[in-house]
Amino acid sequence: MSLLIEAGYEFWNPIIWLIAFAVLMALVFLFRKRGQAKYKKDTDQTRIFLCGEEVPEAEQRYVRGGNVYWGFFETLKEYYNGVVRPHTGVVNDYVIWFVAVTAISAIVLFIVELAR
Amino acid sequence: MSTLIAHSSILIIAVTLATAFLTPLVGIASKRARNTLIVLALAFVAFLVVALARDVMLNQIHVYTLGAAAPDLTIPGGAIVPVRIILEVDGLSAFMGIVIAIVSLVAVIYSMSALKTETGQNGFYTLLLLMAAGMFGMVFTGDLFNLFVFLEITSISGAALIAFRTKFADSQEGGFKYIVVSAVASLMILFAIGLLYSQYNLLNIGALAATMEYTMLDRIALVILMSAFVMKLGGVPLHMWLSDTYSVAPASIPALLIVASQASLYALLRTSFTLYGVTLDQSVAGWIIIIVGLLSMFVGVTMAIRQTDITRLIAYNCVCESGFMLVGLGVGLAVLADPGALDAFGTMAMNGAVFHMINHALFEGLLFLVAGAIFYRIGTRDLNQMCGLGHTMKLTSVLFLLGALASAGIPPFNGFASKILIYESVYQFNPILTIIGILVSILTLAVFMKVFFSAFTGASLPRYRDVREVPRPMVAAMIVLAAGIIFFGLFPGLVLDWIVQPATDALVNQGVYIDAIMGAVP
Amino acid sequence: MIHSLPGNFPFVAAVVLLGIGLYILIFRRNLIKIVMGIAILGSSINLFLITLGYRIDGDAPIYTEVPSELMVLPVVQALTLTNIVIGVATSALILSLVIRIYRHTGTLDSVKSRRMKG
Repeated sequence: MSLLIEAGYEFWNPIIWLIAFAVLMALVFLFRKRGQAKYKKDTDQTRIFLCGEEVPEAEQRYVRGGNVYWGFFETLKEYYNGVVRPHTGVVNDYVIWFVAVTAISAIVLFIVELAR
Repeated sequence: MSTLIAHSSILIIAVTLATAFLTPLVGIASKRARNTLIVLALAFVAFLVVALARDVMLNQIHVYTLGAAAPDLTIPGGAIVPVRIILEVDGLSAFMGIVIAIVSLVAVIYSMSALKTETGQNGFYTLLLLMAAGMFGMVFTGDLFNLFVFLEITSISGAALIAFRTKFADSQEGGFKYIVVSAVASLMILFAIGLLYSQYNLLNIGALAATMEYTMLDRIALVILMSAFVMKLGGVPLHMWLSDTYSVAPASIPALLIVASQASLYALLRTSFTLYGVTLDQSVAGWIIIIVGLLSMFVGVTMAIRQTDITRLIAYNCVCESGFMLVGLGVGLAVLADPGALDAFGTMAMNGAVFHMINHALFEGLLFLVAGAIFYRIGTRDLNQMCGLGHTMKLTSVLFLLGALASAGIPPFNGFASKILIYESVYQFNPILTIIGILVSILTLAVFMKVFFSAFTGASLPRYRDVREVPRPMVAAMIVLAAGIIFFGLFPGLVLDWIVQPATDALVNQGVYIDAIMGAVP
Repeated sequence: MIHSLPGNFPFVAAVVLLGIGLYILIFRRNLIKIVMGIAILGSSINLFLITLGYRIDGDAPIYTEVPSELMVLPVVQALTLTNIVIGVATSALILSLVIRIYRHTGTLDSVKSRRMKG
């Protein structure tokens, strides 16, 4: 029964991790204690400020989940067009893929064995 | 007590089946009695599984012959081949039994609260227990045709469970796709079993492994078996049905479907490591599995990052994590005949992959339960409509973050422990595989950060202002899985020594499996 | 190979049925036809299994008052019976799901009734 793991470049000892976590949490609380304690909720101190402009209501201003990572999808548009096209959702295509993969792996297995 | 342990493998399957058939009868009388019966039965089964796992750890293998005078009388007097159906539990079967027991108990406790107001609950719990019995049978049996029968039981009850909510159109479509895919895969498996039977006149896995010569028909049977099991477990390019079916299942069923696909992965391992063992072409079969695993990792995560439906996203993440397991196991298979490489990194790769199986069931189950909790409260799965849920559902958002970080392989959670074993060992086989694996893990983190920041943080919308936390049984089920994640992450050495290493030893040493069947001549 | 074809004809028939079943599953888009394709696939496997057990001039595998000791294999008959029952359960489940899909989407075409893709 070993709590320690050492293999290759990895090292894992949960006791050391827990001690490090406790030290970091102590530091975090120390920093929080030195902050300002006198602010009042629900007054002008906590409201959103957009350089004096009008803040639209929450319904119009939240970023929808589908629009996150827009730049990533824009860059990889060709890859995504290629990858999404086989995902048709039609049951017949699932069976075609099964037959194709069985046939290709059979051919690969037999050709490699004949080559030996 | 020792008779209980000697009969435990058949008792596990029998108690689950008996409870499945008692549930409608007791449910007509009283709901509370039915719920108590189910939880008690599954708790008893979990206790039996732990006892069985301990017995397997001490004696390396546990054999039970159905209907014989003594449980280990596999070859009766006057015969030279094993007769009767034989349940053979080695390290890997006991490991899978633990996974199934934990996830079914958690799933039942979650469903009791999530489906409180729905009709047809008697049928739901019957099907759930049937599915659990099917999975137990699949991992405990030592007979190929029995494996097929239990695979069909699991598939049919799984499809009925997916289509349980008949008022939604997409549930019906998901159930239809699941049963068509399962039926095609199972019939092809039966064809391969017929091919193997025609040559050797044997259905027992141990007996077949002892007499296997690698003829042309055996090769065809191997290819068909591997393809069908890869389709059942959701490896690219046969994965497209997975997101359609896992996303529309009610309550905690996706967690059970994940364990069903792990059981198919178990069947794939039984076929390639134990049934064929060192007779097959290891490097080719190993590389085929590695390539399927690589494609699964990459296509799974890139499709996951563009989904706008939260459960479809988690389902594509399942495909990605199956890829990790397949890469580790493919590396182990490719070096099976080479004892030096096996000692250096082969067993470490297989340890990582087998450890990842239980970690995957835990964190993916937790993510699906959280998604089910969100659906329970706000009635939609669309990410575009969710914002600021973390203001009121604090515990749910913390649990989601836990599952997400575990999935991405961040220390100190369990995903890190298994993934670093896979990275370390696969790097010595071929460095490119590790590089792709680390890249895919970073993309997994990106996928879940997208969900966390758009659904849980942000402005609190007026229509979600009175969304409270989910009921306590659901939270309790999620916390059980979260505790498992944290425990397995902090003390991976314990898990490796107790349940993962025996599983890997059982896979690598085919001889132990065969001797338990053929060596027991009275 | 041609001269052993008459003896191996049942195997050829089983494989031809397997091909027909897979052809229906790949190329026919009506959901009911897909169900029929799965049933034909199951029948081909049943025929294949029964043919495996046949021995020429063999009798039914019953030991009471047996005319000769040469019998056909009984194990494959048990496998086939189990597969027939599994086929019945699968067909019943798929057909009920097809009825529900028709009620929800109004069409029996596998492409037109699909709601989830990508």
